[in-house]
Amino acid sequence: MIVCVAVVGHQNNPLYIQSFTEADDALKLHHIVHCSLDVVDERVNNPRKSGPTLNETFLGLLYPTENYKVYGYLTNTKVKFIMVTTDLDVRDADVRSFFRRFHAAYVDAVSNPFHVPGKKITSKTFAESVSTIVKSFGFSSAI
Amino acid sequence: MQDYPEELQTPPVRLISLVGCPDLHPTISTHLLSDQPPIHTLAFPDLSKISFLLPPPSPNDSSEPPPSSPPPGIFKRDWLLKHRTKVPAVVAALFPSHHVSGDPAQWLQLCSDLDHLKAVTRSRNIKLVVIIVHSDSKDDINEDRMIALRKRAEVDSKYVVFVNPNDASELMQSLHRLRSFFSELANTYYKDEGRKVKTRIEKRTYNSTELNIRYCFKAAVYAEFLSDWIEALRFYEDAYNKLWEISGIPSRASSIQRLLEIKTIAEQLHFKISTLLLHSGKVTEAVTWFRQHITLYSRLVGEPDTEFLHWEWMSRQFSVFAELLETSSATSLTIPSLGLGTGNKPLTEWEFYPAYYYQLAANYLKQKRSSFEFMLSMYINADELEKTTESLVPSVYVGQYSRLREQVDVMVMQTVTDEEFLNNTIAEEKKHQDPLKMITLLKKAYESYSHAKAQRTSSFCAFQIAKEHYAMDDLEDAKKHFDSVASLYRREGWATLLWEVLGYLRELSRKHGTVKDYLEYSLEMAALPISSDFHMLSLRSQDCCPVGPATLEQREKIHNEVFNLVHEKSVLTSVEHGKELKVTGDNPVHLEIDLVSPLRLVLLASVAFHEQVIKPGMTTLITVSLLSHLPLTIELDQLEVQFNQPECNFIIMNAERLPSAMMEGDQHDNRVEQAPSLALSSNKWLRMTYQIKSDQSGKLECTSVIAKIRPNFTICCRAESPVSMDDLPLWKFEDHVETLPTKDPALAFSGLRSIQVEELDPEVDLTLSASTPALVGETFIVPVTVVSKGPDIHAGELKINLVDVRGGGLFSPRETEHIADSHHVELLGISCVEDGAESHLISDEEMKIKQSFGLISVPFLKSGESWSCKLQIKWHRPKPIMLYVSLGYSPLSNEPNAQKINVHRSLQIDGKPAVTIGHHFLLPFRWDPLLLSRTKANPPSDQSLSLPLNEPCVLVISARNCTEVPLQLVSMSIEADNDEIEEKSCSIQTASSNLVDRALLVPGEEFKKVFTVTSEINSSKIRLGNVLLRWKRYSRTKDQHDSNIASVLTTQRLPDVDIEFSPLIVCMESPPYAILGEPFTYFIKIKNQSKLLQEIKFSLADVQSFVISGSHDDTISILPKSEHILSYKLVPLASGMLQLPRFTLTSARYSASFQPSMAESTVFVFPSKPPCELAKNGDAGPETCGPVSTSLS
Repeated sequence: MIVCVAVVGHQNNPLYIQSFTEADDALKLHHIVHCSLDVVDERVNNPRKSGPTLNETFLGLLYPTENYKVYGYLTNTKVKFIMVTTDLDVRDADVRSFFRRFHAAYVDAVSNPFHVPGKKITSKTFAESVSTIVKSFGFSSAI
Repeated sequence: MQDYPEELQTPPVRLISLVGCPDLHPTISTHLLSDQPPIHTLAFPDLSKISFLLPPPSPNDSSEPPPSSPPPGIFKRDWLLKHRTKVPAVVAALFPSHHVSGDPAQWLQLCSDLDHLKAVTRSRNIKLVVIIVHSDSKDDINEDRMIALRKRAEVDSKYVVFVNPNDASELMQSLHRLRSFFSELANTYYKDEGRKVKTRIEKRTYNSTELNIRYCFKAAVYAEFLSDWIEALRFYEDAYNKLWEISGIPSRASSIQRLLEIKTIAEQLHFKISTLLLHSGKVTEAVTWFRQHITLYSRLVGEPDTEFLHWEWMSRQFSVFAELLETSSATSLTIPSLGLGTGNKPLTEWEFYPAYYYQLAANYLKQKRSSFEFMLSMYINADELEKTTESLVPSVYVGQYSRLREQVDVMVMQTVTDEEFLNNTIAEEKKHQDPLKMITLLKKAYESYSHAKAQRTSSFCAFQIAKEHYAMDDLEDAKKHFDSVASLYRREGWATLLWEVLGYLRELSRKHGTVKDYLEYSLEMAALPISSDFHMLSLRSQDCCPVGPATLEQREKIHNEVFNLVHEKSVLTSVEHGKELKVTGDNPVHLEIDLVSPLRLVLLASVAFHEQVIKPGMTTLITVSLLSHLPLTIELDQLEVQFNQPECNFIIMNAERLPSAMMEGDQHDNRVEQAPSLALSSNKWLRMTYQIKSDQSGKLECTSVIAKIRPNFTICCRAESPVSMDDLPLWKFEDHVETLPTKDPALAFSGLRSIQVEELDPEVDLTLSASTPALVGETFIVPVTVVSKGPDIHAGELKINLVDVRGGGLFSPRETEHIADSHHVELLGISCVEDGAESHLISDEEMKIKQSFGLISVPFLKSGESWSCKLQIKWHRPKPIMLYVSLGYSPLSNEPNAQKINVHRSLQIDGKPAVTIGHHFLLPFRWDPLLLSRTKANPPSDQSLSLPLNEPCVLVISARNCTEVPLQLVSMSIEADNDEIEEKSCSIQTASSNLVDRALLVPGEEFKKVFTVTSEINSSKIRLGNVLLRWKRYSRTKDQHDSNIASVLTTQRLPDVDIEFSPLIVCMESPPYAILGEPFTYFIKIKNQSKLLQEIKFSLADVQSFVISGSHDDTISILPKSEHILSYKLVPLASGMLQLPRFTLTSARYSASFQPSMAESTVFVFPSKPPCELAKNGDAGPETCGPVSTSLS
């Protein structure tokens, strides 16, 4: 289950962060998302030469914490997407497809002429579509 | 890691024992230890002591355990230690040689010792070496005795070694031999022991897995003794896997202790495995192994009561692995490329950082603490635990505990029940709680992450450290860490995280009793961009920050708390000091907000002048705008706007609060304005525009705006220009409507908080008058007049500056060596006019002059008075310059630092050449020499003039006045160069050296003077010299000034000329005029000056106006140095200016032809004899060469 998704801007500032958990660890998830930016930085700055992640937007598993797994995605405009899940066994393909749909939703949101680039995303439509994507996580690729 | 026993931490080292001859022990043991791999030594001075340390093995130990019942434990605690420190692989018995060869009593003693030793070693399969220590030669040892000794000792002959401690080289040799024997025998011993254990494993003569694990462990240890790491690893892994098999099976009653034992053993096995893997550089394998280890055992939580033990165990796994990873040199080299982990679970970068493990270790420790506290709270009689329980000690088996009971002089181990064990553990845990342990782990993680430049994660660790310090009431350390974390969150705009940190900081300052900090943190929290639709964070009470969740309601609550405190409606109680926190007259609070302060969110002051430049004394408008992001409206009592010129400061009073604010009005010297309301609502600019004026010139800058809320709370806010205002941190990422600080959008983008106040208008006239252009060479006078019209002039100072109009310097770099001439334009001096009559040069003290710069002080002038001076400027080259004159004076007093007023004037002056000097040469009339250089096919264009040798020439020098003023010429002459040493090559003569009447040259007019040049030497490039022309400006009035004007000398060099010998000269002679009808004679003389015969071809063309008699064309020969004269008789047929018949001459030798110019071959024909007498002059006829006269054309 996805417990948290975040869009992080150029200055590593949160543009959108939403947790999907009934439990009371939202703040902890914020910390996890914030810390994962270090891994994104490291992975972007020291790309593994032969690794499959070269020139790919999907950054893969960033790091495992006790109970969560954190995945990352970096768009061409250097906006970062972070996803935190509690599933221990996650298929890479699922995560990739999740990020693709998430990216599409993000593009739709920032294409709104009333959206100011670099500001937080407050669009309700975006929130709804993100929540739909999150809910369908794990099922979509099976279809 | 340091909690582990020493024998577990380091790889095992082989052990041998030395018995007897204690003198030699240090030598041998040092030698054995220094070699690689080292061998440890156990030394007994006396043979009899060995039985104490090596008791005969117990029957239980040697024989196979009963196969039916499982052993009471898996490992014995002291087994490893025993083999490392007590049970040697080899025993070396040292005997002095005289005991061997000595009397029978000694020999018997030796034999009995040896028997005794053998009994001990044989039972344990320990190898024996006999060392005989002899002092000198070994010849004295009886051979029979040696054989007997060998037999009794039952050792191979080579294991009887002789050592001579007195001979160094021999000793060294025997030591080496000993070492190889020891090594060999020890290896055999450990191999045998290992083989024994392995046989047991293979035979499976038992059915208990515990024993299997134990044997695997032992086999691994023996393999380690032999440095066979791969085998050791294999057996350790076997043991680990077997252990996992039994971990799920409940055995014996006490499951808590059982689980603990299994975990302890798993931990030790895992430690060994990780160490071996890391030592062999297999970092990826080690990390994968660790991950598997944690995955397996994290499930074995156990009973809820003992959960805390599990978390402690987990934490230890992580911290130990972190230490291993940190010390392992392999990690420092490279992190292996990712993706090497098991296929679907790739390893991430951080799993190779020790920091990651430290952090998780700390997390588990925290979990342990919370679960322990939770369990303790469930315990009803927790307080009584300590009293009832007695201490437990570790039992003989690893991971087991038992109680010591005293039973008639003997301590007996007694097993404990789970309940007893639990009570005891809890009591122990309560006693030995170590809060610093977690901080230590976090600090390690923090440092390691910082080292890896993972600043966010290291900040998170710092945050956790700070929380621990906070929990321990270590406020100083907590604040330090919280502050560093807060700055990162501020920078990156993580408002929710910042909220949490600030909540702690706020609570800290409350505990600490610092009102100012408390207010600052509270205000920042209240102004954070957390909106109401941010519906998250219903946080668990103990995990959440002390302030509560980040919501709009909470912000408003904090806001109200702050302003209640400020309004003195409430007081805060400091936890630490028990004192009350309040804002009162004794304890006023003053907050400073600068350009980088986080409190800019709370109050932002933008100040914009409506104009950029004003005159002193004029009023302009200033807009002061305030913005606050506090959630509720705040009411200010007064605002003080401060400038760098304190007299401009003004105060804005809130009209509603006027009475209370006025009470303490202590400074009434400043302007006081009133505003109807000073209410600042959230995220809305409060704009106020006021008039302002300044009398002082310079920069007027608004420095700060001080808001006062109630008498004892002030916020000083640095004023910011709208044009350069930075975005507000945190709020810049918010998607909210942004408004401008001023109503005028242009001002909002261009407004400045400073304004330039101009200088006072000068009330003085400064005139520069120079009507005409300056002439090169003369001393040009520029009069400067200062007239005071208004106030007096004090401490006046006149600065004069000459600047090239076209840029560039006023001197040419090439001429810098001639200092005198280096400046094209030079300020020579300044003369002062006093009382309009006397003028004198100002002394050097009063003025400072450099070539293009001058400074002169102006005397005190009363209103209406005037002062003037004259600048003397000299041009060396024609060049336009700009003359800048600036007068600085102070209108009020003579003080040096009084404000000065500056008046600037500038004047462009052209420097022009006064005269242009030209020249040309003339040969005598109708006198043409043949100059061979002219006949060349392509005469060079720049060829200098050629003059015939020994012939007089006419040089006409002309001087044209190219100015716009009349000039008076004083003299004109030609002077040879001074440096000309060579013999005079030509003579220049002139009629009069001085001009009788000074010639007046009006603009554009030309003056000519004629010189005769006769060359005497046939040489090329003759210098004629310089033309010296002395002139001055013509002034009609013969006043004093005129005489003062010195004449100016203009010099121009004449070009060089070539003197050439001419072989032929053609001279035409005709009368100056003719009369119609009257015949006259026309001679053409051809002179051959060469020494050769010249053949000349000539022709004379017919013309209509004359009748000619004489030969028309012919070829003649002229002898050397002789002259041939052609004579023609001509009768004019017409009158007027008539062309004589054209004469053409061709020299065959030089193939040069000559034809006189038209001008030369004309003659004027009178219609009749003129009435006046002209003949006298006319008779002079052709002798008109050298018309030495001065004429004005």
